[in-house]
Amino acid sequence: MLCEKKGGSTRFFFIFLRKEKRIDNIEIQHFIAKKADLLFALSWKPNVSTDSESNEENEDCYAVMPPLEQFMEVPSEDRRELFFRDIERGDVVIGRISSIREFGFFMVLICLGSGVVREISQLEITALCPLRDVPSHSSHGDPLSYYQTGDIIQAAIKDIDRYHEKLTISLHSSALPPSLSSTKLGVISSEDLPLHYRRSVEVASTSETYEKVLHHSLGFANPSVVEFLLGKLGLSESSPPSLMRGLQSKNFNEEDFAFALRKKQSASWALKCVKIGVDYFKVGRHVEAMNEYNKALEIDPQNVEALVARGALYATKGSLNKAIDDFEVALKNCPTHRNARKYLCQTLVERGGQLEEEDNLLNAQNYYKRALILDETFKEAEDALLKLRKHMQKSLEMREKQAAKEERQKEKKIETSAQKLRKLLKEEKR
Amino acid sequence: MEPNRAASDQTGLGATKTKIHFKVTRFIMEAGVKLGLRSIPVATACTIYHSFFTATVASGPYDPYLVAMAALYLAGKVEEQHLRTRDIINVSHRYLHPQSDPLELDSHFWELRDSIVQCELLMLRVLGFRVSFRHPHKYLLHYLLSLRQWMNRHSWERTPVSAAAWALLRDSYHGGLCVRYPPQHVAVAVLYLALHCYGVEVPAHAQAQRPWWQVFSEDLSQTQIDQIVLDLIQIYTLDAEIS
Repeated sequence: MLCEKKGGSTRFFFIFLRKEKRIDNIEIQHFIAKKADLLFALSWKPNVSTDSESNEENEDCYAVMPPLEQFMEVPSEDRRELFFRDIERGDVVIGRISSIREFGFFMVLICLGSGVVREISQLEITALCPLRDVPSHSSHGDPLSYYQTGDIIQAAIKDIDRYHEKLTISLHSSALPPSLSSTKLGVISSEDLPLHYRRSVEVASTSETYEKVLHHSLGFANPSVVEFLLGKLGLSESSPPSLMRGLQSKNFNEEDFAFALRKKQSASWALKCVKIGVDYFKVGRHVEAMNEYNKALEIDPQNVEALVARGALYATKGSLNKAIDDFEVALKNCPTHRNARKYLCQTLVERGGQLEEEDNLLNAQNYYKRALILDETFKEAEDALLKLRKHMQKSLEMREKQAAKEERQKEKKIETSAQKLRKLLKEEKR
Repeated sequence: MEPNRAASDQTGLGATKTKIHFKVTRFIMEAGVKLGLRSIPVATACTIYHSFFTATVASGPYDPYLVAMAALYLAGKVEEQHLRTRDIINVSHRYLHPQSDPLELDSHFWELRDSIVQCELLMLRVLGFRVSFRHPHKYLLHYLLSLRQWMNRHSWERTPVSAAAWALLRDSYHGGLCVRYPPQHVAVAVLYLALHCYGVEVPAHAQAQRPWWQVFSEDLSQTQIDQIVLDLIQIYTLDAEIS
């Protein structure tokens, strides 16, 4: 460090430089140390699968860029080395057939498909597609006769010899991983070449900068580009990451969120209206009361108190069906609401009574039954049901008697006609 | 007032101001989460906030929290994720008075709403109606995508560089990086720090003609990156001091 005094100014200068860099690094090191647990925790976030989305290059959604290494101007040996380090079985490659033999064909790689972006066209990497990996296009004949040198081929990597830098490819879809199974293998046209490659060729001739290409890209101006790329990179907006301790998602409480607060507030505001409405109701001002209840339900459509109050008002006015509807919704939202249940039962029985008077006995019975289902201890419903059953029994008996009587009368009638006929015949016989 | 005297007078005041702005931008970020606001609108709200207080140097009688609420409201409109004043009021009220009940629909509520709307108009005028910004986010996401292609896919999967960079970018709005540096520079600096955090080296970095960060932004230098990174780290130091 600085205590080294020997050597010339140059040495001191280098020591000074190193020290400065170390200071910067020290700040960063401290930062990393303090945030180590959070940085580590980020790697445990559920990885929104980034490969589930197709690796298609959709120019409308984002700016499809040429390979980074092209702009960095990485030497070809390094690009070659990294290519053979990173390529995997099942990756899609695109190349031009350079020669066809009896045992298969060779092709020089142009670029990669399936969304992988690397600059390899100048590296003269060859791959072999053995005969057995060429699907036949007719029932007989040499499958290879379909192909010519210069054809652009899309194939899947079947085997890699990383040490010897040898690639074997296949045109069978079975060589593709499930996520890419729909990729078309075989001859393709130059229009099918991936966008990143075509852009890469353009940049090679124009020497545009990365930023220029980015800004000229239509996809860069897509209003939903952020959303789209977040999906592609596996980041979520719903629980956003942070390195601030106070902003960790576990520190947030659902009750403080806008949605929960609004709900609570709506319920409170609605209740105020209901109270005013009930006061109106008590002094017989039904119209104003109804207005308040409706106001309350506009603010909070599922508000139980408002529904029960409105239902009671409907019942008082005689609109029993509307009352029943309101009580039922109220009870559905709050099954333990005593008044809702009580009023509903009473109204059901009352409605049943109405139906009974209209002689709609079966329907009436249903209403009584519904009341009893809600509250099996509801005496009134039970009594009403029993009474109704007796009534129904009686009326059934009466009807049977009547039917029998009618039957006899009918028979009598028939007898009289038969007698008449016999009489007639008797007379005729004379 | 002579500039020099003002500067030395302001250092004490400046530190207090920075702390206040930190606290209030923290409020904006928290409110953003509770309102379901996406990253870009939150960034716009913070930028509007910082721009406002940079433009009006005299701290004036402006209540920073009201300015923040108005900033959220305006940002929602600008970035097409419209917020309702009722929700902003509810969330803010609860933030400033924890565990309290939501406000009743009374005159106090309407007054608050009026204040927000008035403040919004004031802000627009102070900022000359220039309230749409180019944020680093778009750039960062494209840089991440380009970098991901160049890296080995397994190393990339193992290290959450994207999440860390995104977190750093979001957190940076506690300070005024957004108004001091161009968006591309902030994006690069944030990515630089994220890579550093996990000790990730960009392949062939030494052998390339141009470092990766200069590819992304040609007018950027290592010193500039270092400065932005330092500024960013200082925001976290401030966080530790305040809490």
